[in-house]
Amino acid sequence: MKKIISTMAALAMTASLALASEQFSMSAADKELYQEMLENNPADIFVEEGSELFDELVTEEAMAKFLGVKVDDLPKTIATFPRYIPQVGEVLGLDQVMQAVMYLNGHKPFKLKSGKMFSMLAYAKSLANDLPVAIDVNANEKMKESYELGTKMFMTKRGKRGLSCNSCHSKEVVGLLLRTQKLPDLGEVDAGGTWPAYRMTKSSLRTLQRRFQGCMKNALLAVIPIGSKEMVALEVYVTNLAKEKGKKIAIPGLKR
Amino acid sequence: MHRKRSLMLGAGLLAFSLSVALHAADLKSVIEMPDASKILKKDRLAPPKSYTMPKGCITTDKLAIARGEYIFHNLNGKKAKKKPPKGLAKFVKVHGKKKPKQYGNCVACHNIEGAKGAGNIGPDLHNYKKHFIESGARSYQYVYQQIADPRVHNPNTHMTVNLTTGLFTPREICDITSYVVSEK
Ligand code: HEC
Ligand code: HEC
Repeated sequence: MKKIISTMAALAMTASLALASEQFSMSAADKELYQEMLENNPADIFVEEGSELFDELVTEEAMAKFLGVKVDDLPKTIATFPRYIPQVGEVLGLDQVMQAVMYLNGHKPFKLKSGKMFSMLAYAKSLANDLPVAIDVNANEKMKESYELGTKMFMTKRGKRGLSCNSCHSKEVVGLLLRTQKLPDLGEVDAGGTWPAYRMTKSSLRTLQRRFQGCMKNALLAVIPIGSKEMVALEVYVTNLAKEKGKKIAIPGLKR
Repeated sequence: MHRKRSLMLGAGLLAFSLSVALHAADLKSVIEMPDASKILKKDRLAPPKSYTMPKGCITTDKLAIARGEYIFHNLNGKKAKKKPPKGLAKFVKVHGKKKPKQYGNCVACHNIEGAKGAGNIGPDLHNYKKHFIESGARSYQYVYQQIADPRVHNPNTHMTVNLTTGLFTPREICDITSYVVSEK
């Protein structure tokens, strides 16, 4: 209970933070708040909500059965997502697998972009917390294809400013400033293992694919829908960057 | 006996694989896998293009330079605070809908006179006239091309493409160029 109350206080504080740091990077006061929130991530409340929804509509048992693994091995399997799902013949995100399991359990699946799905995704992925990011982009032909597509999506310039993800996230520009924002090394910041995360500037829980959409929108690349083959492929590519750096899963993340 | 069992097993397997097949079709209709290919096709970037600077492009006209400056320092009409100079709108009609006009946001990557919160992905453009033009290092044509489509100078550039994408008109590229090469 105490935790919930202080979480609410932190939520209220982020409202003002959001305004302060929309354009400029963190002030000393914001950094202090960030440290405080790390101990008490406002996203905990969403993960809690996700856990209730998951236990009612998905369940570990049904999910393990769907993935063809023992319940005890579920965390290990979750750490390998996005992964090839033979029943569907596609590489899918964990959220899409939950849609399938909800359906098989006799429930109407949540929309991928719904808040409830974001919360449930945060909870489901948190089951793999502390395990290394274990995506295997060479596991099979479909994973190889998805990784190739993801690489292409990351490198291809498009949109009204002719930019690619790589324009701002290549090795040559990491650490340089875009306006006042330091360009992150997506592997080093463990983007693949720390989303869903609480985004302080947006005062809400966001997923990795939702974060991609944010960069697309800001840089005038046409925004593509969550769950599309190309979005999953981008997630595969970015998740593999975290794996290459030996990163672990730590959900929920906390981001500026 | 033996034969009967394997027959039954066969039938069972058939039913099972049938249900898996049905299942896959079923699941494909409940899992969201939206098609992004049309959006991406429309969003494609044309190949690098060389441009010849139009006549009278570089000017000392104060208004033109002010427009270039405004485009250089701002992201779009919604975020921009000050009133834009004459000849530049904050909002434009796109397919009949009012949308914020997009500006250059050059300051995201370049420092220059009067910049607030400049980035450093691109070179510092302070004193550009003295260091780059008067020194003979760069021509007006070069700067125009760099802003219009920098891929012609460097295929792997991290800089934005501003004319080939249709984000700006040639006149606007001239305004921006005039600002960059102006005495400040
Ligand atoms: C114009 C520059 C630019 C482009 C283009 C761009 N990004 Fe970003 N991206 C940034 C900046 C700046 C940040 C850090 C912002 C912050 O700290 O809030 C960022 C952050 C991110 C993050 C979050 C990292 C973390 O902290 O976990 C991800 C993931 C990401 N970008 C992916 C992408 C992808 C995928 C694309 C292409 C679809 C893309 N970006 C295109 C500038 C860009
Ligand atoms: C996303 C980063 C980025 C943005 C935005 C950007 N630039 Fe650049 N710019 C660069 C980089 C990097 C270079 C260095 C050359 C190269 O790599 O192509 C450059 C080079 C230049 C040069 C050439 C300097 C020389 O060598 O003489 C000029 C002039 C210039 N930019 C002007 C602009 C203007 C004007 C805008 C806005 C309309 C702009 N830039 C937007 C990154 C950027």
